Amino acid sequence: MLFNSIEYLLFLPVVFILYWFVFNKSVKVQNILLIIASYVFYGWWDWRFLILIFMSTVVDYLVGQQIYRNIDDRIKARSWLRVSMVFNLGLLGTFKYFNFFVDSFVDMVRVMGYDIKSTWTLAIILPVGISFYTFQTMSYSFDIYYKKLVPTKNLTAFIAFVAFFPQLVAGPIERASNLLKQITDARKFNYTQAVDGMKLILWGFFKKLAIADSLAPIVDDIFVNYGEHSASTLILGVCLFSFQVYGDFSGYSDIAIGTSKLFGIELMSNFKFPQLSRNVAEYWQRWHVSLSTWFRHYLYIPMGGSKVSKLKSVRNIAIIFLVSGFWHGANWTFIFWGGLHALFYIPVFLMGRNRMYADNVIGENTYLPSVKEMMQVLATFSLVTFTRIFFRSPTLTDSFGYMKQIWTHFYYEPYVHPMGYRMIDFFVLLALFNIYEYLIRKDERSPFKFKSQITRFILYSMVVLGILLFYDDGVNRSFIYFQF
Amino acid sequence: MKKLILKTIIYIFLILVALEITVRIFHLYTESPQRFIDKYGVEKMTPGNRGYAVTGNRNQDVAEFHINNAGFNSYRDYNPKKEKFEIALIGDSFIEGFHQDYYNSIGKKIENRLKGVEVYEYGYSGYDMANQLQLINAYQEDFELIDEVILYMNYKNDLKRAEYKPNTEQIAMFRSPLFQIRDHIKLLAYGSKIGILEPLKNLVTGKAFSNQKQGFKTNVIETKTPAEIMKRDQRYLDNFRNLVRLYGYDKSKTTLLLDSTKTSPTFLDYCNANGFKYIDFSTSFKKTTKATTLIYDWHWNDHGRELIAQVISEYIKNKNKNFVAFPIGNKH
Repeated sequence: MLFNSIEYLLFLPVVFILYWFVFNKSVKVQNILLIIASYVFYGWWDWRFLILIFMSTVVDYLVGQQIYRNIDDRIKARSWLRVSMVFNLGLLGTFKYFNFFVDSFVDMVRVMGYDIKSTWTLAIILPVGISFYTFQTMSYSFDIYYKKLVPTKNLTAFIAFVAFFPQLVAGPIERASNLLKQITDARKFNYTQAVDGMKLILWGFFKKLAIADSLAPIVDDIFVNYGEHSASTLILGVCLFSFQVYGDFSGYSDIAIGTSKLFGIELMSNFKFPQLSRNVAEYWQRWHVSLSTWFRHYLYIPMGGSKVSKLKSVRNIAIIFLVSGFWHGANWTFIFWGGLHALFYIPVFLMGRNRMYADNVIGENTYLPSVKEMMQVLATFSLVTFTRIFFRSPTLTDSFGYMKQIWTHFYYEPYVHPMGYRMIDFFVLLALFNIYEYLIRKDERSPFKFKSQITRFILYSMVVLGILLFYDDGVNRSFIYFQF
Repeated sequence: MKKLILKTIIYIFLILVALEITVRIFHLYTESPQRFIDKYGVEKMTPGNRGYAVTGNRNQDVAEFHINNAGFNSYRDYNPKKEKFEIALIGDSFIEGFHQDYYNSIGKKIENRLKGVEVYEYGYSGYDMANQLQLINAYQEDFELIDEVILYMNYKNDLKRAEYKPNTEQIAMFRSPLFQIRDHIKLLAYGSKIGILEPLKNLVTGKAFSNQKQGFKTNVIETKTPAEIMKRDQRYLDNFRNLVRLYGYDKSKTTLLLDSTKTSPTFLDYCNANGFKYIDFSTSFKKTTKATTLIYDWHWNDHGRELIAQVISEYIKNKNKNFVAFPIGNKH
């Protein structure tokens, strides 16, 4: 079920009312409702893949118990942890990466001069959200192994934790220490929390419907026909893709966080205005936070993080980014994307500037950013946007073809929207959007934090009007990150 | 909890009111005249309706319409007389002309080129050949006085029926309370136009549940085999013959307006062999370097309409060579 579907518009109020009015007698009953709702939510897409979620849930529930039982016997505990990893990564390997490995092997052999035909690739579809829920269940086993968490004996709560519908298919990838605890504890309706949730949902819908979906046809047109465009159009295309993917994914996260609030549950922030980052390190503290912290906690730090020699730290950073790229998709384009981010991040790390902006935002104590900050933001946006060529292109050949086309057709040419929309409308929309995001830059969880009720009302109306004005009924409404 | 629900309802209501006002101020909604079926069974629009049709994907094109006494969008009323030279231009939305101001229609453009001629535009969205021939048949007396009749034919859509039947269901739907409400609440009219209400409609009709995976499919291009095309062409030709038989067709003054590149060669051969005249505007459209259709849909833009007016005018001039100009009062 998509958040931006009529089914969800009916589903959410029904579950909300049942949750607070009918199933409010005990946490256990509420959790059972959450499980049913979550399985219906996921099964709406394809009920057959519910078995994978259920299996992943049961395996990590049992593995968690075993790790805890053998917590002092590190070898045994590690063996049990490996069971979780083998199972979850095995699911990912089969459904997401198997064909990639087979094809890459065939290509490699072909390069060596042997022409073989692949007969091993599987005709399978990628289950929605598999990368998200497998990472979430693995984090549970990791936390128990690292003695940060005591396993739960409440299977109902654990099933609800893994399948919690607002964040099941595209995150935020939650840690058990945050989400599971809230699911096991009694929940009380909180008016302020619910209102904040609704505001986030509205803002998320705006980002998805007005920003991401309206830009999608332009980006698709430019990337599909890149060979026919000039540099100015190609640069425009990749810049707009940056905004599209941000609107799409952060919009989803906002709706997920907002929906959770309606059920009295707080999810972690996933986006903190990454387009306002002053260097690539800050960007990664603001972009897809739940994934970057996952890699930090469960891969980077166990490898030694930055507590080892500079050379090893650089190696660790490179590994993190390459793995992160590979997590996104079984395609060399994502590995290149990750590699480029590593290349941009490592100099910042070596200069000791990677934590420089961890605790502050652009224009921290001023209304306007300084010229230096603006230049930094522009430079960071340019670098990140450049990597998006790999992120968006279907193959490496297309990525390099796109760049070559920019180089060989380096001139300005006015771009005409494939549906004849005025491009100026989009530029005004993006300008207003970025100015507004700058105004609210200090709190990503409160997009309408204005004292005046009238101001808030005007903003709500303008946001809804923006959705109506930029609504495009011809767009595929699925979320980009569903494919990961 | 009660406070949340109450405040949500109040906020939603106030936002909807604010949006209704905004939509009205910026005229984001489109107006459409009432439609009805007259005593002869002809589908037309209610005379006297005036308003603004808003088209374009960003609702950027506003065109004024005016429904005349005959029930069609035109700046003039139709009063054919023997001593005048009249041209009837009949067709669907391309002729109806809600993409242009009514005083700048194809008919007006023809009149500007052929002084003294009156062009009567019988344009109605959805008209096919059955509608057109039945209209001429129903208003025989008027059409006997009209000197030239041009029937716009879109081959792909216009020959699907072998007989005319008034679309009573559609007219009843337009007159239903639901549509009346939609037309009065401009936000609903706007929402319906941009397609945002489509999922809601699908939900009411049950389509939302039966076609839930449709959104994930890519567009499928329908292709037909040569045998299927031949079968279709034969069916269309039979339909045309039947319509001519049922409603009549004055070959001396009736001419089809068509794009030969989009019309079956079988049909064109039939026309050539049986004396059905046609104006082919494809050459004129091919020659021009400027766009001939609106960028957001397939209807003719001002340049396209200008070319159509030009080919019709030239055709009329050539056909009536004795009259280089058409001064008012002269009858050929």
